[in-house]
Amino acid sequence: MDNDMTLEQENAKLRKQNAFKTDVISISAHELRTSLSALKWILKMFLDKDVGEINAEQESLMKKAFDSNERMIGLVNEMLAINHSDEVNLTYETEQASIEDIIDTVLFDFIGEAYKRGIELLFLKPEHPMPKITADVSKIRVVIQGLVENAIKYSEDGGKVFISVHEKGREIEISVKDTGMGITAADQPHIFEKFFRARNAKEKYSVGSGFGLFTAKRIVEHHGGTIRFESTEKNGTTFYITLPMAAK
Amino acid sequence: MAKKILVVEDDNFLGGLVVTKLSKDGYSVTHAPDVKTASEVLEKESPDCVLLDLVLPGTDGYGFLKKIRENLKFSKTPVIVFSNLAEEKDIEKAKELGANEFMIKSNFTLDEVSAKIATFVK
Repeated sequence: MDNDMTLEQENAKLRKQNAFKTDVISISAHELRTSLSALKWILKMFLDKDVGEINAEQESLMKKAFDSNERMIGLVNEMLAINHSDEVNLTYETEQASIEDIIDTVLFDFIGEAYKRGIELLFLKPEHPMPKITADVSKIRVVIQGLVENAIKYSEDGGKVFISVHEKGREIEISVKDTGMGITAADQPHIFEKFFRARNAKEKYSVGSGFGLFTAKRIVEHHGGTIRFESTEKNGTTFYITLPMAAK
Repeated sequence: MAKKILVVEDDNFLGGLVVTKLSKDGYSVTHAPDVKTASEVLEKESPDCVLLDLVLPGTDGYGFLKKIRENLKFSKTPVIVFSNLAEEKDIEKAKELGANEFMIKSNFTLDEVSAKIATFVK
């Protein structure tokens, strides 16, 4: 009976992982295809001389670029074809980890960018070390990296980004607060949806996948945590992540 | 008189390329970045053909397709779904909702799209 339950739980876990893997690949393929489409169309317009005459050498190079792009499209199509097979598995490798250490390594990567734009990037460290979490460190790093990256990206030069952590019952809460453009009330209900990008974010940066927050939510929830945010348009956003403490 | 094409595409860069190409081919093209704008254009201009992306902010392309087909005035307007979503379920859903054609963006050049539109509006 116990064995049956364990097997059932294990199967449910694998199904969940598999669904996540499928989603990530579908979204990545969609985004790759979007960029490759633009390249394909532009190169074809040059080759068809829709935008003026090109010389023979330019035409030959354009043709090579077009063919290379076609090969890339073929690869993406192949990637999608195997997407529903069980051959590709997204696995989680968990360990006991310090959230402060994870945040420190993430912030290190952003110091240069923040400095260049005059953005104050500050980790408000707790007075005492936080209890450890059980996490796939590389994936939690991706989540925090995404939040910090967005906070900097969508802030005006000279803005502020604060990261803090504290205990909340049996969980650790991490917050990433910025003084940036904020998320409009109309866009807030959609912010964790696949492909969704807030309208003001698209206006500021036309390039973006729209799956960072979707993926972040999936990763955090896989760890048994939560992700939410508070935001006012033009007055900044704070994202909150909670992650369970490691069992003692 | 030039045939009217409504291009519903939330990516302004891609939308711009499509508009450039179709305009060069002699179509009168209107670009709408979302369903709200597309609905207004639909009513105002009664396009001869709709080129429809699926991933859109707010209401998606499926929602707009449903809306078009539920309106007697536009129930026969050709709709070509033009998307990089390309799984079987996406194609089936679009066809069930009344799409005339499903073209995967990365698999077609804009000449081919223009040629496909021509088969519906000649």
